Amino acid sequence: MDKKRFAIVAAAAITIFGMAHRATSANRAPAQQNEKINHTNLKAGDMAPDFTLLDNNWKKVHLADYRGKKNVVLAFYVLAFTGG
Amino acid sequence: MPKLEASDSVVLGISIDSPAANKAFAEKIGVTFPLLSDMSRKVLKQYGILKAYNVQSDEYEWAQRTTFVIDKQGVIQHVEEEESAINPNNAVAVCTKLPKK
Repeated sequence: MDKKRFAIVAAAAITIFGMAHRATSANRAPAQQNEKINHTNLKAGDMAPDFTLLDNNWKKVHLADYRGKKNVVLAFYVLAFTGG
Repeated sequence: MPKLEASDSVVLGISIDSPAANKAFAEKIGVTFPLLSDMSRKVLKQYGILKAYNVQSDEYEWAQRTTFVIDKQGVIQHVEEEESAINPNNAVAVCTKLPKK
């Protein structure tokens, strides 16, 4: 193997190793890493923004419908089938 | 839950899952309160709790775990974020103290 060919093979090997290394590092990163956290600007004493959403039976639910009738605990969760 | 019902309160779960996924989830964990779908993330934006999660170096925007207690006048009485929002005891305590009327 002449010097030129050796250099090409070596460069290729370094490139592949580098890519593999980066890929491994990425895999090792925590599955859920918080990059941006939007803290809510809403606080006690504010009016709750009204909304209409579909429930798990495809029925519309209006927040305002509970006005004057029930207190509402709005529990935002990350994803179904995950803990908490 | 019985304490909440006694305090004239309801629970609404909200996530970005589809109604179909929420139906299966509700059946699996046996919840009786509605699970709402915010697939367009409009309510998450309204409430300012859209959060970016990094999964295998791609970014996804889901809800930040947050609990709001809203009284019968539509006024927010209590906000709890992140880990402390997993435990419902504080929210239940707030509800039981709210006036009955």
